Amino acid sequence: MRKRTLRRGLTAFWWFTLAFLYLPLAVVVLFSFNASNSAASFTGISLRWYYRLLGNEEILSAFANSMVLAIVSSVIALVIGCLIGYGMYRHRHRKLGWLIVLIYLPIVLPDIVFGISEMAFFVQVHRLTGLLQPGLPTMIIAHVTFQIPFVALIIYSRFVGLDPTLFEAAKDLYATPAKRVVHFMLPTIKPALISAFFLSFTLSIDDFVISFFTAGPESATLPIYIWGAIKKGVSPEINAIATLMIGAVAIAAIISLVFSRRRPA
Amino acid sequence: MTDTLTADVADTRMVRSATVESAREASSIEMQRLHKRFGRDTVALDGVDLTIRAGEFFTLLGPSGCGKTTLLRILAGLEEADDGRLAIGGRDVTEVPPHRRSVNTVFQSYALFPHLSVRENLAFGLKMRGMPPEEREARVAKIAEFIQLGDLVDRRVDQLSGGQRQRIALARALVNEPDVLLLDEPLSALDAGLRSQLQVELLRVQKRLGMTFVFVTHDQQEAMVMSDRIAVLNGGVIQQVGPPREVYEHPVNAFVARFMGHDNLYPVTARSGSRLSTPLGELTAEQPGKGGLLLIRPETLDLLPGEVAGDNHLPATVAERLYRGSHAEYRLEVGETTLQATVNNRGRQLPERGDRVTVTVAPGDLVTLSE
Repeated sequence: MRKRTLRRGLTAFWWFTLAFLYLPLAVVVLFSFNASNSAASFTGISLRWYYRLLGNEEILSAFANSMVLAIVSSVIALVIGCLIGYGMYRHRHRKLGWLIVLIYLPIVLPDIVFGISEMAFFVQVHRLTGLLQPGLPTMIIAHVTFQIPFVALIIYSRFVGLDPTLFEAAKDLYATPAKRVVHFMLPTIKPALISAFFLSFTLSIDDFVISFFTAGPESATLPIYIWGAIKKGVSPEINAIATLMIGAVAIAAIISLVFSRRRPA
Repeated sequence: MTDTLTADVADTRMVRSATVESAREASSIEMQRLHKRFGRDTVALDGVDLTIRAGEFFTLLGPSGCGKTTLLRILAGLEEADDGRLAIGGRDVTEVPPHRRSVNTVFQSYALFPHLSVRENLAFGLKMRGMPPEEREARVAKIAEFIQLGDLVDRRVDQLSGGQRQRIALARALVNEPDVLLLDEPLSALDAGLRSQLQVELLRVQKRLGMTFVFVTHDQQEAMVMSDRIAVLNGGVIQQVGPPREVYEHPVNAFVARFMGHDNLYPVTARSGSRLSTPLGELTAEQPGKGGLLLIRPETLDLLPGEVAGDNHLPATVAERLYRGSHAEYRLEVGETTLQATVNNRGRQLPERGDRVTVTVAPGDLVTLSE
């Protein structure tokens, strides 16, 4: 009898936790479909706020910036992180402790510190060389720096999970170094590459703090736009943007998760 | 899966067309003074000189850490010798990278590519060498038929059993028609039944293709079943090279004798002519040799009931008897010394534990060897 009570209690706790996590999101999603512009009462279902988004050039440009930033930074981070991940794997028997820590440090560093540092760095570079005016390029560089550790970690774990004799089998079966990359390594780590790309993508879309410090006047992303707009009060339009972002990030995260679990077919 | 390769004529003809006709001649291997060290103080190979003949089933036998795998990896090109020379088929390949050697390996873990189907695994080597797809497909189909796994080619690797993986790994190497096939303990991951079945198959494949096989194992039984010749290694040094029977019956030293499974080794304390003094007593050997150690193989001994006097007759007590059906294994006590004997059961009363018996051995069966 007591066991059953306990189990019921735990089940309730589970639902409470889920509600705690997702009710706020549900409120935003619900009100994005609100027919009236009241943030307090739900009067009926409508897509008017979504139509309104399509007509708002500021939002469309912020959306475009977010996508360009996320895609370009993810691709660059994928290439660099993949090389680092492979390097870490190749030299895993050496004592690389502190080097690995250096690569992972950005993961634990507070975003605000990271953002301020990036900004200060870009300002100095700009002052000395005239390059790197704040804008999309600086944001891309900043995003790449915090995406790399995640990519490197994912790629490294994929390599560590492989039978090391596979590398030797490829050599033994006449594959030149270039062919080993094309016909063995890349296909073997493909799920990890896809997973790493979509994780980087969600990290970039999510990011506000670092973007905020490295953005220029023309390069506002969706989070930056929302932050600016919210000072004038929460409009139902913001709910619609937020809902779209929840959807986009959820999809990217699910793709990332699916591929990180998938064994190569 | 349980089908064995049947050695009928049609099959043999198919095999020829599949692999031998277009294949190069089987190649010999010559190793000269091969040295290999890992780190500062681990010597893996300490001056290995060895010639493996073309078409031979040659086994590198030894305990783990003896250097046999290192030697195989040097043959494959996966490891580079610190010093010495290696030639395959008369061509110096000491510094040739693995992807440019006509040598293929069957790995202990099989190392099948998980991202490829069985068919793509089989075709991998041919593809890397730039063979056109149609020719490749034909070769893969033939080898799959030869190894009797034609129905598996479209499977994924993770859908195969251990025995199937083993055969695919073998086929993936054979399809390239290498000059030499290297096998790194290829059967060690299989259970005993499957293992002995695949031993027979492997041997048949080798005999029919006439390809040079270099096989690594730590199992002396396996080595004796499979090999034309065996090299026994210890501490990076070749102890003895010879046909299985020679290595088993005439080991050159105590290490080889023990590794081949012999326990009856006794110091020769004194000798005069063909008379040897040992802890068992005085024995007469046909060829007393010079070695300080006497080897008595258990199967050369015979038991007589009671005490019988005579040359090479030793009084003993049965300390233990293990009945094995066709034969029995005895642990005998000769004075303070223990002696193992394996005796055929046919038409005899089996001595019981505690019985007094007389052990006899022919002078020709006594072998002396160095420490």
